Amino acid sequence: MAIVTDRPDSPDAPDSAGPGTELEPAGDGAALGDDSPRTGVFARPTHATGWREWLFTVDHKKIGIMYGALALFWFLIGGLEIGLVRLQLWAPDGEVISADFYNQLFTMHGVTMVFLVIMPLANAFANYLVPLQIGARDVAFPRMNALGLWVFFFGGIFLNLSWFLGGGADGGWFAYAPNTGMTFSPGHGMDYYALGLQIAGIASLLGAINLLVTIINMRCPGMSLLRMPVFTWMILVVQFLLVFALPVITVALILLTFDRTFDANFFNVDAGADPLLWQHLFWIFGHPEVYILILPAFGVVSETLPVFSRKPLFGYPIVVLSGAAIGFMGWGVWAHHMFTSGMGPVSVAAFSATTMFIAVPTGVKILNWIATMWAGKVRFTVPMMFSVSLVAMFTIGGLSGVMHAIAPADTQQTDTYFIVAHFHYVLVGGALMGMFAGMYYWWPKAFGYHLNDRLGRWHFWLMLLGFNVTFGPMHIVGLQGMARRHSVYGEFDGFEFWNKIATIGYFFMLIAMVILAVNIFRTWGRYRRGLEPGAGADPWDGRTLEWAIPSPVPEHNFDYVPVVTDVDDFWHKKYQPDETGKLRRIAYGNDIAQIGDQHPHLPSPSYWPIVLAMGMPLIGFGLIYNLWIAGIGLLLLVGSMFGWTLEPATDPDAGHGHGHDGHGDHDDDHGGGPDGHDDGNGVLTASTANGEAAGD
Amino acid sequence: MGTRRARRCFAAVLALLGLLLAGCATGRLDATKPIGEEARDIDGLMRLSGWMAVGVGIFVAAAVAVIIVKFRAKPTDDPDDLPPQIHGNRKAELTWTLIPTAMLVFLTIYTLPTVFALASEGDGRTIKVEGQQWWWQFSYDLDEDGHYDIVTANDLVIQTGEEVNLEIHSNDVIHSFWIPQLNGKKDAVPGRIHEWRISSDEPGIFYGECVEFCGLSHANMQMRTIVLTPDDFDRWVQEQLAGKEAAQAAPAEESPEAAGAALFETHCISCHVVDGTYESAAGGNANLLAGIAPNLTNLMSRTAFAGALYETYQTGPDGDYLRNPDGSLKLNLAELREWVRNAPDMKPARADNQQGMLDFSEVLTDQDLDNLMAYLQTLGSEPVLPATNAGAG
Repeated sequence: MAIVTDRPDSPDAPDSAGPGTELEPAGDGAALGDDSPRTGVFARPTHATGWREWLFTVDHKKIGIMYGALALFWFLIGGLEIGLVRLQLWAPDGEVISADFYNQLFTMHGVTMVFLVIMPLANAFANYLVPLQIGARDVAFPRMNALGLWVFFFGGIFLNLSWFLGGGADGGWFAYAPNTGMTFSPGHGMDYYALGLQIAGIASLLGAINLLVTIINMRCPGMSLLRMPVFTWMILVVQFLLVFALPVITVALILLTFDRTFDANFFNVDAGADPLLWQHLFWIFGHPEVYILILPAFGVVSETLPVFSRKPLFGYPIVVLSGAAIGFMGWGVWAHHMFTSGMGPVSVAAFSATTMFIAVPTGVKILNWIATMWAGKVRFTVPMMFSVSLVAMFTIGGLSGVMHAIAPADTQQTDTYFIVAHFHYVLVGGALMGMFAGMYYWWPKAFGYHLNDRLGRWHFWLMLLGFNVTFGPMHIVGLQGMARRHSVYGEFDGFEFWNKIATIGYFFMLIAMVILAVNIFRTWGRYRRGLEPGAGADPWDGRTLEWAIPSPVPEHNFDYVPVVTDVDDFWHKKYQPDETGKLRRIAYGNDIAQIGDQHPHLPSPSYWPIVLAMGMPLIGFGLIYNLWIAGIGLLLLVGSMFGWTLEPATDPDAGHGHGHDGHGDHDDDHGGGPDGHDDGNGVLTASTANGEAAGD
Repeated sequence: MGTRRARRCFAAVLALLGLLLAGCATGRLDATKPIGEEARDIDGLMRLSGWMAVGVGIFVAAAVAVIIVKFRAKPTDDPDDLPPQIHGNRKAELTWTLIPTAMLVFLTIYTLPTVFALASEGDGRTIKVEGQQWWWQFSYDLDEDGHYDIVTANDLVIQTGEEVNLEIHSNDVIHSFWIPQLNGKKDAVPGRIHEWRISSDEPGIFYGECVEFCGLSHANMQMRTIVLTPDDFDRWVQEQLAGKEAAQAAPAEESPEAAGAALFETHCISCHVVDGTYESAAGGNANLLAGIAPNLTNLMSRTAFAGALYETYQTGPDGDYLRNPDGSLKLNLAELREWVRNAPDMKPARADNQQGMLDFSEVLTDQDLDNLMAYLQTLGSEPVLPATNAGAG
């Protein structure tokens, strides 16, 4: 997080952004404290600078950046975990690590990458960008947004503390009962898994509800659903999936926790349970989860491909609707994870067919992306390279996915490295490539400067190479019969050659990640020393609203709420048809972008999200070790809820002598409660979406 | 210049091809070398869908390549001159919705009959398959009287041309039964019986393993299917029954075998069964989470022990069985002895949690081990091996 705590003014920030950088609304914290109507624990935090600014912030942009930083940290952990696995598989009968440790490593690698890396990475972009893309000043529930972040923060730490408290979870990320019950997994690893995911799930649920309300209610005037940027659309679909899928895993994890902690019999076969219950519950969550992971990346490239091809997205409504169709169809395919579980041929046939046809909307998306680039003038910037590689690499993963849909073929492929290859092409070649594209694309928007281009290209090429060298061979060893989750293979199995290649590929990816880290820290350092030029508001000739405001984005986002009349509205402010009907440039983004010199009333920071979140891991520890600890956690949690509700409604502008209660000049822009008063406690209401005239 | 460069390219391509061929040397579990009818049906579907996937993949890759080469922005381009702004095309959308749909309808129609065909019952015998941490047990009811006449571990023995019906289930957690060359996988789930069919027209040894993660030693839960000609199979059945008889005969007094039997009675029968002699553990054992340990009645007739992790008889560098001068198989006594002495050292297990065999290194002396080995060698005769081997690897 140190990356971003002390963002300086850009030395040669574009003129449009100049005044914006002085726009810290909470400005002088001390002044705010003096004006605080109440004191004691119920006072609002007053720190507008330093680390405390980050701990107590409710700003969706800071929260987004913290999601991103945490995700990258866990990416490092999850990546190092699997490095040991790759070393173990270097040669037959590997003796690098024990079978026990191996099982923990692949379990925690999966859990980490899914729940602590790709989901929060998507959350980082969603948090940062959705309000910007829909022309809003913040999300609907700013404090709840912060709560989601801190719950996720503590959930991730809690989950990984198991490494130091008896060993990580060892039942696989899918945790099939009854192997994960107390009888067969007596250590605490699976307890940390069940409770850690429960906590992380609460975080995702909070975020999902928040973004749903935000997208539905807070779009700027004129932004009808079919004028919404595709990224925001995909995030909307994902939030629906989360809201409906997370309760299912929540229930499953509660059953598992009850079995383990209170000797319940949900998965006890001797007491009449059917272990397939867990599998159904897990995959009813788990398959929508796959789309939760991939759709945000689809959203990202649906933004980047048009911008860098200098063409509108081909078939915008089709791309949006196919994304929504994937979201719907994603609910009817879960049992394709269970083709060998003994469901019976009718179920197998049905799920085989539904799974095949989910390939249709996915294929339509890919072809629309290709048509978007086709006949364009494609600029191969780093974000574009990552985006194009998503189109190519995800296609491979999608096609092997169709092969798995053929249930009889799947009985040969499932639980082999062929599947491992398949879903890494989807999740690394698809989701992660998309996230990297988004990082390079929106970095100048979030931080005001570009990541280094040359290092970015090294990162891209090593990543693409390493990725294919690692996961390409897994198709082959998978078909040759190498099973997943086997800590050793035999010398007569014939797997050695391709495993060596895959392990070499891993190190290419590792180097690529080191280069990314170097890029982030080096470029940041250079920017601080004034060696990097500012990016300007609109560095890529963008199409969506986030490019119509300064970089880095001022705390209040928009000086005035934009009014939208078209898809890609900002683009149409730059290009208009001439007399022959050909589009001509009439303006440059940096010239027409907002300048960020307003001081609207913003939600105040709050202590309570982080304090409340701290109660959750305590409850977790309590359920594992001693219920008294859970009592303390519960007390903290409930106490924080009181603190939350009793927190005073301070106006951060008070210290600046602006209207103190939200009736200032720009009240209408950022919305407020029914009485126009917003202190961050309630919803930043929909007044902006209801057609309020922009900019007063 | 050009030719030298071309030659160098050619050499590089050759080297790469050589490398790929080296990597294609296949092993014992190759799922692309089907022998059984069931596996062949699946293989047909895999190849069809695989080639269709390759075709579509090449189409997309070619399109991306054209974009990269042809539609790349040139430095000389006027930055404000836009390419044609095409927002969409209804016909194109319709085309690329319908063509994939048609392809998938074709695949579905092609797939579904196989799903049902694979679920149908075969006309051959039924064998009970039980998975448990971390080995497989196979039980044969020869006279269909509800009592299992042959109970063996690690080696599933069947005959050519017979559609064998397996009744797969588990005694502890979920496992998955997989003999890649004979059929796809079928999970072994506690509390459920899953029916699955395998068959082979050719004799051979077909390797397999557990493929559903089942805990600590999941990687070491292997098995083989030994397919014999009907004559050989009958011989195997007779030898199994004879071994059962022989195991009931008491060894000569004062012999190492007798001392071994005494040790076996002291240390082993709380978990292991020898039919007709030591059956105290039969029908469930409270000392084990799974409730059963391998039935050792015909131990010597099995090609492998310890979850098929170790060969009962010595093999050469190419995996072939070594023979004594008299033509008999060479016993892998060293590893068998070590296994009995300290099993957890040879295969990850959690004996303290009743998962896997105990460590006897502190209990048994060298003399004890020698005696035990002598006794174990009385249990059954050599395995019946297929005359020819259609197995991969």
